[in-house]
Amino acid sequence: MSTATAAADPTDAYVGYLDCLADADEYGAIDLATGLLDAGVPAERVLLDLVAPAQVEVGERWARNEWSVAQEHAATHISEQVVAAVAAHANPRPTGGRVVVACMDGEWHALPPRLVAEVLRLRGWQVTFLGASVPAAHLVSYLHRYDAHAVALACALPMRLPYAHRMIEACRRSDVPVVVGGRGFGVDGRWAARLGVAWAPDAPSAAELIADERALRGVPSARLAHLADDEYASLVRRRGELIDGALADVLERVPSARGYTATQLDSTVSDLGHIVDFLAAAVYVDDASLFTEFVEWLSGILLSREVPAGAVAHSLEHFSVALRDFPRAGRVLALGCAALPAAGP
Amino acid sequence: MTASDVRDWDPGDGRHSTPSTTRPPAWSADLPPHPTADLPPVPSDRGSAAPDLFEVVEHFREGLVVCDATGVVRHVSPVAERLLPGVTPGELLSAAGVPGLSDGNAGGFSYRGRRLTARQVPLSGARCCWYVEDVTDSVGRADALLAERARSAFLAVVGDKLGNPLHPDRAAAAVVRLAVPTLAEVAVLVLAPRAGRARWWRASRADDETPMVDSGALAAAELPAAVADGLTGIEPHAVDWLVEQAIDAGLLPGLAGSAARVVPLPGRDAPVGVLLVARRATGWYDEADVELIRAFTARAGAALTTALLYRDQAEVADTLQASLLPVEPAEAAGVQWGTAYRPAQAGLRIGGDFYGSHRLADGGSVFFLGDVSGKGVEAAVLTGQLRQCLQALHRLESHPGRLLRLLNDALLETTQAHGQGRFATIVLGVARPQRDGGLTLTLAGGGHLPPLVLRASGEVESVPLRGMLIGVVPDPRVGEVTVRLAPGETCLLYSDGVTEARGGRRGDEQFGTERLVTALSGCQRMPAPALAERVEQITCDWLAHGDHDDIAVLALRATGPSGRESRHLHSVPTPADPDQQEETDA
Repeated sequence: MSTATAAADPTDAYVGYLDCLADADEYGAIDLATGLLDAGVPAERVLLDLVAPAQVEVGERWARNEWSVAQEHAATHISEQVVAAVAAHANPRPTGGRVVVACMDGEWHALPPRLVAEVLRLRGWQVTFLGASVPAAHLVSYLHRYDAHAVALACALPMRLPYAHRMIEACRRSDVPVVVGGRGFGVDGRWAARLGVAWAPDAPSAAELIADERALRGVPSARLAHLADDEYASLVRRRGELIDGALADVLERVPSARGYTATQLDSTVSDLGHIVDFLAAAVYVDDASLFTEFVEWLSGILLSREVPAGAVAHSLEHFSVALRDFPRAGRVLALGCAALPAAGP
Repeated sequence: MTASDVRDWDPGDGRHSTPSTTRPPAWSADLPPHPTADLPPVPSDRGSAAPDLFEVVEHFREGLVVCDATGVVRHVSPVAERLLPGVTPGELLSAAGVPGLSDGNAGGFSYRGRRLTARQVPLSGARCCWYVEDVTDSVGRADALLAERARSAFLAVVGDKLGNPLHPDRAAAAVVRLAVPTLAEVAVLVLAPRAGRARWWRASRADDETPMVDSGALAAAELPAAVADGLTGIEPHAVDWLVEQAIDAGLLPGLAGSAARVVPLPGRDAPVGVLLVARRATGWYDEADVELIRAFTARAGAALTTALLYRDQAEVADTLQASLLPVEPAEAAGVQWGTAYRPAQAGLRIGGDFYGSHRLADGGSVFFLGDVSGKGVEAAVLTGQLRQCLQALHRLESHPGRLLRLLNDALLETTQAHGQGRFATIVLGVARPQRDGGLTLTLAGGGHLPPLVLRASGEVESVPLRGMLIGVVPDPRVGEVTVRLAPGETCLLYSDGVTEARGGRRGDEQFGTERLVTALSGCQRMPAPALAERVEQITCDWLAHGDHDDIAVLALRATGPSGRESRHLHSVPTPADPDQQEETDA
């Protein structure tokens, strides 16, 4: 074997590719990917064994506060260009029906569904990729206009599940089967099962599921009888009031917060909003693990930015008091508090 | 004699206790009981002679079988004799072989073609009495009611599911899928032929609940005669050769010997198609079945007609819409474009914001971003006119200020001609690449939000560009500014949908320019498309699913001297020493 074989393996090229992303070297990254294709590596492997794991690493570098948002965006943009280059290079001929791929409304992580779209295209489907944060009305008018065999929807953040559910229902009403993916549905897709929708853990499984219409349509229906207690609807109604109260509480308990700049206040409000939204989503799917996983993740993010976990604990306690009439939300909050790392000073 | 004949029979002498006298008093204990004298007097004008008890029993709706302690039948009332001919006095009841009476478990059972219910009541001396009632008629009525309810429920589901798919192919697939298994084992929908070809959809029952759907097309001449008749609006009755014809045409493979019907789907004038249903298991379609199929096809016909109408209208709308959508900027040397566009009415996909660019003969580019007053289709139509004006005018005039005045005149003429008080705001500029890889931007302002410039230092500058709305007065004041972009620097044009986005804690706070500037600082090294998307994203995050105005963003970045920019970020800070890297770049 020659040296070319080393370069002809996506996993060996991975480190070099990450360097290109870190250096924001768009053409280097594209050259590397097309080099693999020229060496005979199938396009699907380049997408799934090179671009996909690199994107996961990009997200983790942001979470560890090693990369700024701007760097994360630039790296993502380069990977999108690479995907476009790989797609143009492979140029598959469509033989199957139309599949529409889109991000849920409010969802901006467009690269993973873009990879799914390209894998489907490589497997002969005629794919329309509608991009990031597609409004439900836009998607539905598209489905009315073009006959789609299936819709693939991506959701990276579980707090968007209630919106995701509405969007899934909108597609269903147009009689188009839906497959969902992304971390927003849980690592094992358990919240997709709760919402009564087919779920695929990765692009190849999504492709297999889409090829099997019986499996797509034969999904057990949603189990959301718990919504009858109105806790979710009340939480959404009281969102502004809850955030106001929690913010006042932060300003009272944390003296340094009184000196916050407008930007810092905005981001505090946004963090509190996320807590309420994740809580509401956990109540929506009636699964506290949605919230505890979020609390663990948030503590990690804040820790890497040197914000003590105590700040989160205070707010969770505040919400517990404010929501004492909400038994399900109360249980979720209690488990969320328990999931926090041992509080520091 | 029927049960109703004995309904008003009065037991007469009061020896038979009536429930009201044995029931404990319903009133509270501390109230004195009503004196019995208050009760209506028992009529005494009839029944003075006590009737024979068995004579009374004979007229009960229920038949009676009395057994002694050993289970031997001692008495059988005439009704019981008729219902249970096998039960004979003097023999063991269990020997009679009546399923509901032998083992003491009361309830409903079938006996000699009748539906019976039985209950056992213990009598004194370990005897017992079976009360047996014939419920054949009421069970039949209940079954008919249940069947009717099932039909209504089926039609309700059909109405619900068929109202939504507006795509004709989807609607056709939904029609056949819904018909199976309630109406047929195999359902085929044949649409009225278009250009000599008739398209069909077929659903077949599978092992589980989900029917399989496939589709195809037939030449109009190959259609089975019954189907062709159906398409003219004639419903063929009892056609023995229908199945054979359909099998020959390839519509019902492997269903020889099954029962089938063809029912037209009503359309606007002629039927929109016909439904062919076939089944083997439950046999021939009776009148009730055909009624149900007709009710189904009426709904299916309405759904398909709507879908076809929608398709025709959507084709027109799409063509017009496409001409009103912003066109991506033309590639130009030294410029990297980035755009974002999010109309207020998501379903419409067009709005009152617009952007674009055209290449100039001298190597430069004219670019613009603007906002027409109003929203929706009317605003979008005006953006189309403005874009077309610019496309023509830039060939005659490439100076931004003068071009803007020409545009103003054209818009003024249009709005005056239509008698509508429409106006627009716009930023219009010409970008010319410099030898060092930078860009010179000559900007003209028509009352629009001033552009922002992301400097290599990380600073975000607001370009001091003023000017008046266009389309209002004949000779407006136009602001003019020249901006130089060094390689890697970016100029950002955006509409007020960004800064006037309402969100925050209560959803009523404006996003504002300050937040936008803060969000852009630190983004000076982002590629233009990523930057435009970031502006769109932070705006939408701020809105948090709230309603918004049209949002448009146009970013242009000086790419540097070579046509092929090797790196977007000339010095991405390494985690090891970010500060030093920042300085070398600045």
